[in-house]
Amino acid sequence: MTSNRWERATQSAASWAPTVGRILLGLVLAWFGYHELVQPGLWTGYVPVLSPTSSLATVAVLAHGWLLLVLAVALIAGIAPRAAAAVAALLLLEIVISLTVSGGLSDLTLRDVGVLGLAVIVSGVDQDRLVLTG
Amino acid sequence: MRLGTESVGRWGLAVLVVAGVAGGVLAVHGWSTRSHGLPKVTLGNSRPAKTTPTTTPPTQGPTAPSQGPSKGHRQLLSAQPYANVAYQIWPGTLSSAAKAALIGLKVSVKQQGSDLIVTAGVNGQPSGHPRTYAGGARVYVIEASLGDDSGNTDYNLGDDALVVTDAKGGIIQ
Repeated sequence: MTSNRWERATQSAASWAPTVGRILLGLVLAWFGYHELVQPGLWTGYVPVLSPTSSLATVAVLAHGWLLLVLAVALIAGIAPRAAAAVAALLLLEIVISLTVSGGLSDLTLRDVGVLGLAVIVSGVDQDRLVLTG
Repeated sequence: MRLGTESVGRWGLAVLVVAGVAGGVLAVHGWSTRSHGLPKVTLGNSRPAKTTPTTTPPTQGPTAPSQGPSKGHRQLLSAQPYANVAYQIWPGTLSSAAKAALIGLKVSVKQQGSDLIVTAGVNGQPSGHPRTYAGGARVYVIEASLGDDSGNTDYNLGDDALVVTDAKGGIIQ
């Protein structure tokens, strides 16, 4: 009896895990996207090559924030979630490379490596719960 | 519409369009308020501060008092939107939050009569030129987000700034 319950619980967790991972990844992207859009000046320091005080850096942050926000909505709503996660993975890979080149490996960089790993997993898993297919 | 093996239906497309438009509106808002926010007294050259020495001098530094508001009309630091992320670094002992906010930065303060002479820079880079703040009483470092600091490195100097106030808390430009 107990083993049956445990089995059902693990099956339920396994079936919901991709959905939870997708939504949490979406929330991360939404948070960063929103803040990059409303206060781009605080994020221009991350833009490689460009001067943080340049208008071009601000435009780059706004474009990045916009893309993050759209990807976040796609992930949370379950609209082509695997494709959205794949694009997010590419963005995160660029961020990890940029942070590593500019500041070396650190806890901050490796934290983003973890989010990158989550995006890679979500991009490779079929989603069948809480997805918008219509 | 198909994206790889996935299809995007009418509702999905509509939601994405709404999200795109909302993002566009936020971007316009962000662009229009890009000059608001932290004071222009930034630290370093807003590039990540590596611990290895470099010969590149900072292109920016605390600006000297010049055309700012007159003494009687100084804006209060407490009235600024970034007041809650201002950490006092002089005088007195550094709080743990101030120490965290100073990661990647180096700031020295000397008092000379009623003036404060502040030298600020980024770790691993030559210090900026000392600046004199007439009537300065307190020095604050602004760090909008502590999440960009790691070890001895501040990855994003775009959210850092330095503010000197008089005894009443008015910002000395």
